[in-house]
Amino acid sequence: MSNQGRTRTIEEINQKIRSGDVQVLTAEEMKKLVESSGVEVAFKEVDVVTTGTFGAMCSSGAIINIGHSDPPIKIDQAWINGVEVCHPGAAVDLFIGATNMCKKQPYEYGGGHVIHDLVAGKEVEFRAMANGTDCYPRTSIKTTFTKDDINQFQLLNFRNCYQRYNCAVNSSDEIIYTYMNKLLPHLRNATFSGAGELNPLMNDPDYETIGIGTRIFLGGGPGYIIGEGTQHSPQNLDGTLMVKGDAKKMSPEFLRGASFTKYGTSLYVGLGIPIPILNEGLAKKTAIRDRDIFTNIVDYSVPRRDRPKFGKVSYEELKSGLITIKGKKVRVSSLSSIKMAKKVSQTLKSWIAEGLFTLTSPVERLPTTATFKPMRQTEEIPFVVSVMHPAVTCTEDEEIRAIAERIVTKSVNHIVVIDEVGKLLGIVTSWDITRAMAEGKTALSDIESHNVITAKPDEPLEIASKRMAQHNISALPVIDIEKKVLGIVTSEDVSRLLGR
Amino acid sequence: MKRILIRFNEKQVSEPIATEVLIEHKVPAAILSAHINSKGGEIIAEIPDESLDKIVEAFRKRGVLVTVPKLIDVDSEKCFSCGACVALCPVEAISIDNDYTVQFDKEKCVGSTCSICVDACPVRAIKSIKPNGGNHALNSKVKKI
Repeated sequence: MSNQGRTRTIEEINQKIRSGDVQVLTAEEMKKLVESSGVEVAFKEVDVVTTGTFGAMCSSGAIINIGHSDPPIKIDQAWINGVEVCHPGAAVDLFIGATNMCKKQPYEYGGGHVIHDLVAGKEVEFRAMANGTDCYPRTSIKTTFTKDDINQFQLLNFRNCYQRYNCAVNSSDEIIYTYMNKLLPHLRNATFSGAGELNPLMNDPDYETIGIGTRIFLGGGPGYIIGEGTQHSPQNLDGTLMVKGDAKKMSPEFLRGASFTKYGTSLYVGLGIPIPILNEGLAKKTAIRDRDIFTNIVDYSVPRRDRPKFGKVSYEELKSGLITIKGKKVRVSSLSSIKMAKKVSQTLKSWIAEGLFTLTSPVERLPTTATFKPMRQTEEIPFVVSVMHPAVTCTEDEEIRAIAERIVTKSVNHIVVIDEVGKLLGIVTSWDITRAMAEGKTALSDIESHNVITAKPDEPLEIASKRMAQHNISALPVIDIEKKVLGIVTSEDVSRLLGR
Repeated sequence: MKRILIRFNEKQVSEPIATEVLIEHKVPAAILSAHINSKGGEIIAEIPDESLDKIVEAFRKRGVLVTVPKLIDVDSEKCFSCGACVALCPVEAISIDNDYTVQFDKEKCVGSTCSICVDACPVRAIKSIKPNGGNHALNSKVKKI
């Protein structure tokens, strides 16, 4: 039997929800059904598929209106639990941004935590300053409130639900702390984010049913899609959503403040979207599996907009806990919670099955093509490659005397020790040579430093310069990913550039 | 294998006690971590089950404090199983089960001498417990060697 041309409407589905006859499956269950019984049967049997994701979504926040004081105040600057909140509109309207950090506990407590605390019903401390006007005379205020004391408390997130995200690694010699969390040197771990096959946008990649006005699960309560998210890039499978919902109806379980060491604070958001199975095509799309969803392995040790990539990896591999990069096995783990993503889709399923949640037709479609442009920059900044120069080198079998001569004839302070193919082995400075003379040493191996701090050619010069200061050294050999010496950058190069 | 925490005081630290005990009993212990300086030190070692009693006794005879440590405390109310800690763990004490729940194997964990997962937890649910023993307490000023 073919379903050719057969469709169902959202109104038909809503009638079934009201009468308790609706057939709703989570995305996980739908994939199993399609695999065991085929798309035709799945389309016939299933009305709605519920999806879910639960990840750190930095472009999240909340609009609050705290009511007027007596005498009234037109707030200029304000803080909740020590976290600065912004004042983008009228007197007592405020926006709590998830990434704003408390100055007293930076990286540990921020706007995401304030939102979580308010949702959890906790009392928060509020402080504000103002200029004072004829109509709003007050210049400062201090009080406390809970979510029940304030007027509107609306979650307003301008970029949520990333369709997929990068897998992050670090090829450098040092631990780095990023928004993809702690990355160990030499590719010793990898992190990823996103729910893969459970992600809402992956299950409706053509935005057939997801649009402006779609009612969704947001933070444990009902919410709505209000537009495309910032940086929405659907044709690259990097779609995003802008969403809102009444935070007073949300649950602290599905909105969690987060701290990323040496990076900042954020908010974990639980977001789920019901996909009405209006046609057989949608039944097929909701059957997408982790093995069909790929993302890039990106080297976060290069602090540039376009970071180098180590190829592609599927979400199936990512969720297995082990990936292979350049022939090396690397342990990988998630930053977003797959467990909570499943819970979002299960909770949404139960709401629909119990008749508590009906579906909406979008009032407008989201763009299916959009360009995510880089910033227009009017000033260039210097990179290592723009000031580095050829390094004076030696090999390990050379005598100190020969190296000393080279330092004099080439008029340099640093000699880079390389092997026969030009790979970095160590560094010798004029100071090392002086010390060797004083201590009567003659072998290069006695004075050579093997633990060499290096730079990469495409790093901003400022970062290389900070590294020199941090390690109290005056030069960095510039190497490629294979450790081949490309040149050297010295503190003199930096000062020359600054003095220009 | 059983994990033990061996703590040396200022006097004991200059003597080769650990080596003596292990050689004397011919026990292949795995040293998981060691923090030692002139003021004292601690070693976490894995000892085969059958040798545990005699090793503990041998250390105690020499006046060294030996305990079976609790090294990590995970707040299961706070943890929502994101997984951020999992791939960082050098001894594979943290894993994700079939239900995508993060599981901690407290027997495998090497505790405060590692602590690599602690600052990677976005909700600060992991605390490593610093052993604090009377006259040879280690404080935070003890440097890693």
